[in-house]
Amino acid sequence: MKLFIANRGEIALRIIRTCRKLGVRTVIVYSEADRESLPLRYADQRYPLSGSTPAETYLNIPKLVNAAKDTNCDAVHPGYGFLSEESNFVKACDENGLTFIGPTRAALEKLGNKLQARMTMKGCGVPVIPGSDGVLADEHEAVEVAEKIGYPVILKAVYGGGGRGMRVAQNAEEVRRFFRITALESASAFGRKEIYLEKRLERPRHVEIQAIADRHGKVVSLGERECSIQRRHQKLLEEAPSVALDADQRDKLNYAAAKGLTAAGYANAGTVEFLLEKTGRFYFLEVNKRLQVEHLVSELTTGIDIVEEQLKVASTESLELSQNEIRVNGWAINCRINAEDPRANFVPSPGTVIRYHAPAGPGVRIDSALFSGCSVPEYYDSLIAKLATWGVNRSDAIQRMKISLDETEIIGLPTTIPLHRELMRDERFARGDFDTTYLNEFLPRLNSTILQYEKFAAAVAAVGKVKSPSKRNGMNAAKPSRWRTMARTQLMAGPNGSGR
Amino acid sequence: MFRAEVGGAIFEMESASSGEITTWLVRHADETVRAETMPLPNDRVDVWLIGMPFPAVVQAVGTGGYSVSPEVHRQRSMGGQVRALMPGRITSVLVKEDELVKEGTPLLILEAMKMQNEIGSPISGKVKSISVHEGATVKKDSILITIE
Repeated sequence: MKLFIANRGEIALRIIRTCRKLGVRTVIVYSEADRESLPLRYADQRYPLSGSTPAETYLNIPKLVNAAKDTNCDAVHPGYGFLSEESNFVKACDENGLTFIGPTRAALEKLGNKLQARMTMKGCGVPVIPGSDGVLADEHEAVEVAEKIGYPVILKAVYGGGGRGMRVAQNAEEVRRFFRITALESASAFGRKEIYLEKRLERPRHVEIQAIADRHGKVVSLGERECSIQRRHQKLLEEAPSVALDADQRDKLNYAAAKGLTAAGYANAGTVEFLLEKTGRFYFLEVNKRLQVEHLVSELTTGIDIVEEQLKVASTESLELSQNEIRVNGWAINCRINAEDPRANFVPSPGTVIRYHAPAGPGVRIDSALFSGCSVPEYYDSLIAKLATWGVNRSDAIQRMKISLDETEIIGLPTTIPLHRELMRDERFARGDFDTTYLNEFLPRLNSTILQYEKFAAAVAAVGKVKSPSKRNGMNAAKPSRWRTMARTQLMAGPNGSGR
Repeated sequence: MFRAEVGGAIFEMESASSGEITTWLVRHADETVRAETMPLPNDRVDVWLIGMPFPAVVQAVGTGGYSVSPEVHRQRSMGGQVRALMPGRITSVLVKEDELVKEGTPLLILEAMKMQNEIGSPISGKVKSISVHEGATVKKDSILITIE
């Protein structure tokens, strides 16, 4: 097999690693902005595409298919995002004799978009959230449906995914306003602007089942993941297993997931997402028909290489794994480190990473394409590293995460590290007492912690500036001080009297 | 080892590595944290702590004293000047020139890293000029709209 990787960044590198282990040759495609990116160093072959925007590159079906054929590849791995769930891409692969590492077109159609998936699941008896049964024609119809089922509601891009293209509306005015933004966001990210809506549940948890299915209808579950720590429907932290499930509920979710995937004739690694209410009632949310960002926590608890299984299912059509071989062992947590500024409401912060140092040690895994001096382009997703830890139990994994976050150095751009740092010190998080609304309540705490460290920063700034002064101290007038800080520094004699 | 006093609190620091970026171990009360500093031209210095940047301006005051203030980072807007917080693309302009807006009224949508960022008016007033059009690519800190 020679595999074409139609993706970039950490996930491209993740896929290459498994291929190298299996002896599968790889071709990586890359945009102009990614010409010095890390995956290029480990692929067997590189294929440049002109331009940097997603539309010119990683979303460009004709260019990608042409590149895959040009390099004599026989299979294509789409990673996540970009074209990973795009049936036109699957079609183009099929027509050009390329094996798509993912579901068949028929299965994609049945789960094709969020709305169709909803109808497929409803059809086989899996509970779904009350909402519109079709695409909303315009904002007026959206308001009409919302008034009928009651606020708050969530507007969702039919073709959306990865937490993008969703907005919560509390009233008719917001429905109208967000309808436009959601459609725009969807058109830009997914190329389609259709919207539907669902009732927003009160403080649910997000729990999902990681499954792998083959072409003969065999489905194996690698257990659940808890993904309730989210900001604007964007997962920030995932763990496996979930504190919220008992054995009985776990069975029910596994059963519902398997039933849904079988009904769709799904073959590949896939995730069935559910919302879980406090009462224990659960509803189908959506199917992620791809390798997921957070797949690594399931790999840590089961020891299974999900990419390897994807390649096997795609090449042999059947799954060697059987359910009784799967053991969920210990606990794993993943922190998504995004290039986003916690001080400025998490706006994206593309730029250059001046220095990168990754943590390590027992039970620590980091999936990232960062290196010292690399650039984080503005064109793509803000995820720059996934830091995961494994422990014999949850608190063990948390302790390791605390240490690993502290060891991580990403100098040059603001990231979500401070947020994760704060979460690892949070009592409610430690107790497992949270739902999908928790992070919003929690965020003000982060701001007060940042303020607390400003005195530390002032001390360090004074010493750091004085100890290694830059070439010329200009005559900048002092700006009005928010810190109102006067740092008085003095050199003390070091242990050996050298006064370093 | 260095010692710094900030508003009566004592911080002890030792450097753990030097170069363009210096790594420090900073002790205060019972807590030790790692920090990095990168001196910049003029009086500026970038400090990294708890995984966050703390850009600062440091100026000598008297003997052995320094005034430290946060660099007024990324000045989002100067009065009614609305600037791009990040490089990206304008996907939508939601107001017209001479339109009256309130503080927080959505002015435009800036797309970066696949996210649609709604940019609200920093003040209440009238839209004086719109410097961008839909589809325009903007650099960080460039002026998008002026409100007066």
